[in-house]
Amino acid sequence: MTATTFIDGLSLGAIYALIALGYTMVYGIAKMLNFAHGDIIMVGAYTVYSTLLWMGKPILAVIFAIAVCVILGVVIEKVAYKPLRGASPLAVLITAIGVSYLLQAIAQLAFGAKAVPVGLPRFPVLHIGDKLVVNVSTLITLGVGSVLMIALTLFIKKSKIGRAMIAVSEDRKAAQLMGVNVNRIISLTFAIGSALAAVASIFYLMQIPNTSPTLGSMPGIKAFTAAVIGGIGSIPGAMIGGVLLGVVEKICLSIPALNPYTTAIEFAILIVILMVRPTGILGKKIREKV
Amino acid sequence: MKLSTKRWICSLMLVSMLLLCFAGCGKANSKDTWNIGATGPLTGSASSYGISVKNGAELAIEEINKAGGLAGHDFKFDMKDDQAQPGPAGQGYDVLYEAGMIASIGSVTSDSCLAFGAKAAKDNLFFITPSASAQAVIETGTNAFRVCFGDPDQGTLAAQQIKADGYTKVGCIYDTSDPYSAGIYEAFKAEMDKQGIAFNTQSFDKDNNKDFSSQVEQLKECDIIFCPFYYTEAALVAQSCVSKSVNAVLFGCDGFDGIAGMFSDTDVISNKILYITPFDVNSTEAKSAAFVSAYKAKYGSEPDQFAADGYDAIYLIYTAMKQADIKDLSLTASQVCELIKGVILQSSFSYAGVTGTMTWDASGACTKTPIIVEYKK
Amino acid sequence: MAGYFKSIRDGFKLRNFTNYILIAAALILFLILELTGVLRRSHANLLAQVGFSIILAVSLNLVVGFLGELSLGHAGFMCAGAYIGCFVANQLHKTSLPPLVTLIVAMAVGGIVAALFGFVVGLPALRLKGDYLAIVTLAFGEIVRNICKNLPWFGGAMGLPTEQYGTHLFIVAFAVVLLMLILTQNLIHSKHGRAITAIRDNEIAARAMGINVVFYKLFVFVFTAFFAGVAGVIYGYYTTPVIYSSFTFNYSIEILVMVVLGGMGNITGSILSASLITVVNFVLQSNLSGDQAAIKYLVYALILMVTILFNNAPAFRPIKEKIGLQAILSRVRKKFGLKHPSENPEEIVDDSAKWHRIPTKIKMDSILSTDLKPADDGTLEPDPRQEDKHE
Repeated sequence: MTATTFIDGLSLGAIYALIALGYTMVYGIAKMLNFAHGDIIMVGAYTVYSTLLWMGKPILAVIFAIAVCVILGVVIEKVAYKPLRGASPLAVLITAIGVSYLLQAIAQLAFGAKAVPVGLPRFPVLHIGDKLVVNVSTLITLGVGSVLMIALTLFIKKSKIGRAMIAVSEDRKAAQLMGVNVNRIISLTFAIGSALAAVASIFYLMQIPNTSPTLGSMPGIKAFTAAVIGGIGSIPGAMIGGVLLGVVEKICLSIPALNPYTTAIEFAILIVILMVRPTGILGKKIREKV
Repeated sequence: MKLSTKRWICSLMLVSMLLLCFAGCGKANSKDTWNIGATGPLTGSASSYGISVKNGAELAIEEINKAGGLAGHDFKFDMKDDQAQPGPAGQGYDVLYEAGMIASIGSVTSDSCLAFGAKAAKDNLFFITPSASAQAVIETGTNAFRVCFGDPDQGTLAAQQIKADGYTKVGCIYDTSDPYSAGIYEAFKAEMDKQGIAFNTQSFDKDNNKDFSSQVEQLKECDIIFCPFYYTEAALVAQSCVSKSVNAVLFGCDGFDGIAGMFSDTDVISNKILYITPFDVNSTEAKSAAFVSAYKAKYGSEPDQFAADGYDAIYLIYTAMKQADIKDLSLTASQVCELIKGVILQSSFSYAGVTGTMTWDASGACTKTPIIVEYKK
Repeated sequence: MAGYFKSIRDGFKLRNFTNYILIAAALILFLILELTGVLRRSHANLLAQVGFSIILAVSLNLVVGFLGELSLGHAGFMCAGAYIGCFVANQLHKTSLPPLVTLIVAMAVGGIVAALFGFVVGLPALRLKGDYLAIVTLAFGEIVRNICKNLPWFGGAMGLPTEQYGTHLFIVAFAVVLLMLILTQNLIHSKHGRAITAIRDNEIAARAMGINVVFYKLFVFVFTAFFAGVAGVIYGYYTTPVIYSSFTFNYSIEILVMVVLGGMGNITGSILSASLITVVNFVLQSNLSGDQAAIKYLVYALILMVTILFNNAPAFRPIKEKIGLQAILSRVRKKFGLKHPSENPEEIVDDSAKWHRIPTKIKMDSILSTDLKPADDGTLEPDPRQEDKHE
């Protein structure tokens, strides 16, 4: 393993962590697995693509991607999930899957099935010392990703809304009785999760500069795995899980003998971790009540 | 025995629905067209290839019908979506066959085409696949043919080319999840071993892995990297090379054709990209040029090799049927198959399409001259 | 295990006739059509597909609906069964065994191997709960797929070529469905079935009652994995080649959709929804070709969301009460003067007398039956309508 592999892994991990945060927050607060979260990334990527095509300004593309994803996330929550509040969690899960299919189908109808190139500006390559070759985009991903995660942690811990989120995640009914507007908090959670997904989609495009309707499904599942490894519902857990998964993936990919088994190894790590700690690395212990 | 009314009504509804569906499909086929069928991925991650073939084939059908069809009847082309999976491909075959398909251009991808071919072999239905290049596809029966190169041929050819060009630091990346890529890689490896050239191999799985920086990083010492996979991934490999400042030549197969559409205007590609192809979109040859301009006019984008192969496959069926002097719509698929085979297996038969001049032998393989093209912006 | 078979033998009955009649009637109907040559090949193959979908949905329903654990790795068991069963079948095809025997042997081998995998997945199920278990099953399915892809004797990216059984495959598939229904329904209605549902409803209470939770959880996973493996072999015979990319977690989710739409813990529901979804997919697939193919997912997604929202959203409850299936049925019943079993308290059979088969340490039923005797003024009498709803 070289230092370059490690840095690449950290940057991939940062992308996974950003997506995992969306999963973990929604799970913590709305108690549902949002299977459509991966497809929000895809929508973000297509927004970047269209904006660049029409206006050619990367900064506008970033702003639009975040705006579109936030609006979409909130609308999906209002239309598809809110009516099912109180219904069985499986019903919500299936609806989320329906939303995921729907977004993919719409993307294919609107943009075609073919992967399209997204012309985000390319960043220069840095040669540090003899061995280390790092692209600036990797460093940006790492830097911005870390800043966002720290900011989110502070927001949740220190701000009033953040504390309301914690309250809702711990006991929705009690929080409601204390005057917390649960519906607004859930919408806000979806908004923040989707914004992070939009940021992740931009970083993703910086590494992999094309987008297709099925772009979101694999990063979505990997990020979900990361969220579970870290302990679903736990924000630092999502970061640890994401980074762990990213580094493991890059290491496996760089060793030819392990390369074909990358997916198996990643998922095996998940199983091993859950066998040792049944609620993930930082997950809260579930207390069973009689 | 307690039977609630609800269950009975549910069952009744289901049975009646089934019967309705069966009755609906059971209407008699009084066909007045030559039905050509196919299956291919029209949704999902491989759909760009299926849609290209469909576009190419539909263009050919449109031109043939404009010119009066065959024996006063039009051609009809129907492509069912198989999501690049064998199950739906077999199902699509059944539906198409029952709708009166008399010849086919098979399936777009190799796995699907195996399922398609297994069924077609039983009915002895002629099919000529534009792009399912695995060797097993044309081994499904004597009715199976292809327009594209076979996987082993390309691998061998690539290895010989690398030897001839005198490269010594050779790398290879291949896709373990794709029969096309794995098939070419095996032949390439065998030939390289025979030539005595050592090379460094990296692999990926396109469903899980779209970031090629790790693989490229491992091959940064190489002068040439052989990349037997499709243009979607090829473009990403080229971009990973840029972001890792790896300057090796990227050498690909016919799957590379279409790579031009995968770069945006702002992309700067520093690597030299070469690929083996039967079809050059910038060719000045009259037939190719006419095809490219007609395709652009109809679909607004440049055709790739999939579209060209699909176009040629349809034209080949048409030409062979015309030469066999088929006029009777009531001929069965098996009879049509024998007639078409009778024409194209003649040693004097050759067909000049947009992907070159082709001849066929009884194995179903196609012989045409590959050219090596360099990608230029 | 021995205990299980003994109790099945003691209490062996053909319960829940609707399902058997449903399947047998369909089988006979289509058998006649097939033998008279009316049945089209695509429909015969569709029936085989319906057959293995029912097997998958009913077996998943045992885990999700009866044991109460979410499993997203059903396609993984199917993948293991399909690869290994068809690998064995390919070897047997070289001998002179008749195809039907080969198929049965392949199904047995595929099922048993999948059952072993089920045991392996059942182990984490002892320690994990809910969504954590769900992701582990999903991970397991992906691991199986990944390994099958890389094993050299399974054909790699090209998949494992299989022999085709022809249009009669659906008869075998439906026979397996019948066999599975007999086993499953007897299991559910036996004391073991009650133990399984008890674990679903309250694991700690079940454990306190002396139910062997470890055994039952592993048992359910092994049992369902076996049938998923058998379904995998039928799938392998239905199409060639067997390829790992068919068994993605999306396929597991599709099976889950069948279970959820059919109603969790409802076997008839699973049968109906599995058939319906398979037929709907077939109709969409065969009619929307060419440029329209992309609409297919749109239609499917909309059907899925509307059904779930309509069935589950509290906001739709008033509309559902007016135009829902139940409402229409009750109107029909009213018109014909029929009554739903729950509206006829006299018809509800009190089978508490048979409860002596439950070997609990304390004679619970004797205590319960003395305590619950209705008081003379009738105030303590439980409302039969209320009770029936919990059925």
